[in-house]
Amino acid sequence: MDILFGSIVSGVLIGMVLALVALGLTIIFGVMDIVNFAHGEFLMIGMYTGLLTAQATGMDPLFCLPVAAAVGFVLGVLCYGGFVKYLLRGPMIAQLLGTFGLMLVLRNLALLFFGSEDRALHHGLLVGKSFDIGMGIILSATKLATAVLSILSFGAVWLLMNRTKIGKALTATALNRQGARYMGIPTERMNMLAWGIGGATVTIAGALIVNFWSVTPYVGLIFTMIAFTVVALGGFGSVPGAFFAGLVVGLIMEIPGFWDFFQLSFAIDWMADVPMISFKYTWIYVAYFVIMLISPRGLFGWKQ
Amino acid sequence: MALLEVHHLIKAFGGLKANDDVSFVIEKGELLGLIGPNGAGKTTCFNCIAGMFPPTSGRIVFDGQDVTGLPAHEMARRGLARTFQVYTAAGDLTVGENVLVGCFMHTRSRSSAKSKADGILEQMGLKEFRHQLVSELPVAAQKRVTMATALGTDPKLLLLDEVAAGLNPSEIEATMAGIRRIHAELGVTVMLIEHVMELVMNISHRLIVLDYGRKIAEGLPKDIARDPQVIKAYLGERYVREHAAEIGG
Amino acid sequence: MEAIRNALDFSDFPKTDLGVALAVLVFLFCFPFFPHSAFAMATMIQFFIFSLYGMGWNTIGGYGGQVDLGKAQYVGIGAYTTMVCLLRWDIPFWVSMPIGAGLSICWSFIIGYPLFKLKGHYFAIATIATSLVLKDLFEVWKFVGAARGLGILPYKYHPPDFWRLIFKEDVYYYYIIFAFFIVGLLYMNWFRKSRLGYQLRSIKDNEEVARSLGVNVHWAKIKTYAIATAFVSVVGSFHAVYVKNIEPEDTMSLDISILIALMAMLGGAGSLWGPVIGAGVLIPLKSYLKEWLGAAAGLLGIDLIIYGIIIMIISAFEPRGLWGIIEKIRRRRRI
Repeated sequence: MDILFGSIVSGVLIGMVLALVALGLTIIFGVMDIVNFAHGEFLMIGMYTGLLTAQATGMDPLFCLPVAAAVGFVLGVLCYGGFVKYLLRGPMIAQLLGTFGLMLVLRNLALLFFGSEDRALHHGLLVGKSFDIGMGIILSATKLATAVLSILSFGAVWLLMNRTKIGKALTATALNRQGARYMGIPTERMNMLAWGIGGATVTIAGALIVNFWSVTPYVGLIFTMIAFTVVALGGFGSVPGAFFAGLVVGLIMEIPGFWDFFQLSFAIDWMADVPMISFKYTWIYVAYFVIMLISPRGLFGWKQ
Repeated sequence: MALLEVHHLIKAFGGLKANDDVSFVIEKGELLGLIGPNGAGKTTCFNCIAGMFPPTSGRIVFDGQDVTGLPAHEMARRGLARTFQVYTAAGDLTVGENVLVGCFMHTRSRSSAKSKADGILEQMGLKEFRHQLVSELPVAAQKRVTMATALGTDPKLLLLDEVAAGLNPSEIEATMAGIRRIHAELGVTVMLIEHVMELVMNISHRLIVLDYGRKIAEGLPKDIARDPQVIKAYLGERYVREHAAEIGG
Repeated sequence: MEAIRNALDFSDFPKTDLGVALAVLVFLFCFPFFPHSAFAMATMIQFFIFSLYGMGWNTIGGYGGQVDLGKAQYVGIGAYTTMVCLLRWDIPFWVSMPIGAGLSICWSFIIGYPLFKLKGHYFAIATIATSLVLKDLFEVWKFVGAARGLGILPYKYHPPDFWRLIFKEDVYYYYIIFAFFIVGLLYMNWFRKSRLGYQLRSIKDNEEVARSLGVNVHWAKIKTYAIATAFVSVVGSFHAVYVKNIEPEDTMSLDISILIALMAMLGGAGSLWGPVIGAGVLIPLKSYLKEWLGAAAGLLGIDLIIYGIIIMIISAFEPRGLWGIIEKIRRRRRI
């Protein structure tokens, strides 16, 4: 039973962060129909930003989020203004491969500057601490704090999108670009804003994740795929969809835990022989494939 | 003998009925016009017949066989060809290659497809354009390309969707002659959607009028032109009331 | 007969193109006679391998416009089939290669049927997902060596072994892959003028129009996907005996899939010469950048940074690739 509850709790907590990871991707896709392959690399940069700021200033990594957000915003805006803007004129394949080129550049810049070794946080208020909340569930303090801060950030972006004038303009651009332009919304600037917000949210997520996940220059790809799956499940362009989908994908990532639970509680021997932990991410790809076949617009999708 | 029979065709998009209980018959060798105000459901009707999407209910019989719900490529193989209102070719096929695609339907051999395509290009007066992209051509020539492409499949029935839209009077004249030639020389039965009245009134043997998805009239062009129902559909209730004397209804 | 005649018929290209192509072929044929380093030889073989991958991708991706970013899974199937056949049952290359192609085609039908219900970005990401699933499976599958992969021990054989393709000198591999290259080029020349080729280009133009012209769009895509797959799988088999050591990471990773698509796109997707030009520019660039900047200067990753920047520039400013630039210049000159 412990394993089951532990896995569920862990899945939900990580799911909150994954929702935040995917938020930027879904906003960008919603506004301009482009899939950003470098999304995971943005996250990697967020992780390094959080880690290095914390190490340099001696502050707790959780207080470094504003720095990460600022870095992400600037990065997003620069990428859009300096590069993505030109991609949008071309065919889809150019967009896909172009952002792949961006991913190569960012990944290898990180390799050049930070080296290829694993880096992890070893200090901080919460690092290594945990609570026992009964029923054998041990909550890691960093994961809990991360989940809470993710929800807060997610909520802040949701409010920005729905309650402020500029956010509404962004939503309008996503819904109907032509119409928005006729209404006097500067759609070009909205694109840039979407990349700024997208960059900021994902680097915040990175700075949160680095609290319990070590960082290398190669960490991006898996998060790109996770983000694609979350966005597919939540519906391309849907912000609330991303939230629920994040939770579901968090639970999918805990499939090895559930597997162990079944194996132990029903004493099924052959299940013990399957190296399920090696398939931790495989289920995410499978999930993407299956979701797209059931509902090509995503399960909570609205965008045509 | 009937080439195409449409029985009680209904096509609904959500709650909106784009076609509501439409029935008609096209005889072999006929030249039939389908008219109606914008949004009357003409193109939807074409799409259902051509298999672009299945009808919600109703039956379509083509050449003696029930073809309801067959996919478009299957309809094309059975001898039904169509043109498109807006020809959006963003790609890199030239005019000649476009026509060739249709010609490949009945043969695998490149040489026989090629010689057939050359013949059609010649007939439609497109020979000089054949190495150009469709998007580079003037509108009139683009419309001819869509017809030529469709003809490559050796159709028994050709559905023409607004082939005269956006043309000037002399081009309309030429298009009209082109359609007559296809109809007479190739023996193709033709059904056309058209807004250009001088063309459709002149050329059609018979007319069908749709309004709000329903068939409101059917008959000879000269009768249709005086049908008060049709005039009402096009010009509104008030016009009919005020000009009752002139119309003679 | 007509098919062979069409494959050999290059008459629709301008004379200058054919002249250049012939000169390049003569150069490629004579290359091993010139003094060269082992590194240059390896780079040339990589060039052939990737131009063939690119040709395969070009059928579905270039002519058909379906952005497939999962071709590496078929490199893997081909390479692993040949490797497993050789190591376990001593089945020679010329038998295991068609078996691998057959397996690849079967797999391509199984996933192609659902895949092609998707369009655009959704399709592209789904191809990545399928490829990664297969890679994850191979990484734990003990029968194929799991993450450590499989290796041929050359001393167990007696090179030159033409049956199993085990050689000491690279020049044998060079001429074998050169022959594959010629066959591939002729096949592509036939393909682009075949019924399927035209149907595919019409699908890329406008699916609705293609359907109305009697093209079974879904089936045409699946068929072409299988052709692309066969190309990649056959070359994957060759790759296995050539490098003699394969693991999931270097045969089936996303980077390989993307590299395959890049060859065609940077050279010019949807043109016969595109993948060849792409591989001809990119492969030497990649290996020499790595050699000079990465290994020699000790700047880890800088080769890939430059490489990435080139990709970014081309995709932003000339998405039709190098061939697109050539055609643009020609068009301007004609007008």
